[in-house]
Amino acid sequence: MLLEFVQWIQLTGFFTALRGSAYVYPIVLSLHMVGIALFGGMILITDLRLLGWGMRKRSIAEVVNQFRVPKRWGLLLTVTCGFLMFGSKAEEYYYNAFFRTKLILLALVLVAELVFYRGVYANPAALDQAPSVPGNAKLAAALSLLLWTSIACCGRGIGYIEPPLDKIHARIHVIYDAALTVPRGLYIQKGQDHQDVSANQRHSGRAE
Amino acid sequence: MFLQINAIADVLNSSEWLFPIAECFHIAAFAWSIGLIAAVDYRLLGFGIEHSTPSEVLRDTAPWTLLGLAVVLLSGPLLFLSDARMYLHNPSFVFKMYALAAAILFNYTIHRQVAKSDSSSQAVRMVTAIVSLALWISVVFGGLFIAFA
Repeated sequence: MLLEFVQWIQLTGFFTALRGSAYVYPIVLSLHMVGIALFGGMILITDLRLLGWGMRKRSIAEVVNQFRVPKRWGLLLTVTCGFLMFGSKAEEYYYNAFFRTKLILLALVLVAELVFYRGVYANPAALDQAPSVPGNAKLAAALSLLLWTSIACCGRGIGYIEPPLDKIHARIHVIYDAALTVPRGLYIQKGQDHQDVSANQRHSGRAE
Repeated sequence: MFLQINAIADVLNSSEWLFPIAECFHIAAFAWSIGLIAAVDYRLLGFGIEHSTPSEVLRDTAPWTLLGLAVVLLSGPLLFLSDARMYLHNPSFVFKMYALAAAILFNYTIHRQVAKSDSSSQAVRMVTAIVSLALWISVVFGGLFIAFA
């Protein structure tokens, strides 16, 4: 059912057009990276402050509260671009182990946020009143650094896994990450061949 | 092309994992360093930590920015040396190098001076922040487009 859903997403007119454009995908990917830089820096500042390693002259409340808005803008840019890339090749991402790992790690970020929200993020002023930064705040910051760094690495990993061409239905027209070992032309041709083969197999399956 | 044949390329190309790992360091470190420079830019534009002056944000972030840049500038040449000929003929890579040189130069001259001087006018601050953000965003775009050129 999930597979049918991702197939439906990538076949919508909007994402079909996105996939067909030679320039939109790399631009969206670049904006995704810009978002990561803006968002990642804000995360780093907040976490360094919570760990007590940096920005020590500022109160925790100042750092956490005042980078909240720029952090959200960075996240919004990153997530929007991420969703656009996912939608345009949803079926490929569905099969990608790094993408699946990345989603699990993102879910863990959400869990961590929920766990630590009340004790750390909702009331940073209380942390300033403690003689030293409380352990749970440090744990939250360390987990945040670890999870977000892993997420970024998994994101890069996505491009290294070849899509299972015999299973992919969407025709990838022009572009593909050159970091993949499959040369562009070969990839398109192979994709078409495989589609034909799998179509034949389906037909013969029905005939039997 | 002597750069093409070197021990680093042999090592990087001999393992399936070394190049991706170097890339992960490159990506994580550029996000950190550019994000921290952006924090100063945000302050110059008038948001971010409101009770701090740009010079304070600069002083607090500068060591971490430098650390991030050091990791970026160590991992970057490793990636380059893995396939030097391809990179040198890649227009996006050449663009990225010019943008990077400009961004670093700007960051440690004008940007630094404007951020350090708490008396600079708001117009000067805004132009500096916008130029800084534009330069670093160009570097990121140049890097991404290497794979698509």
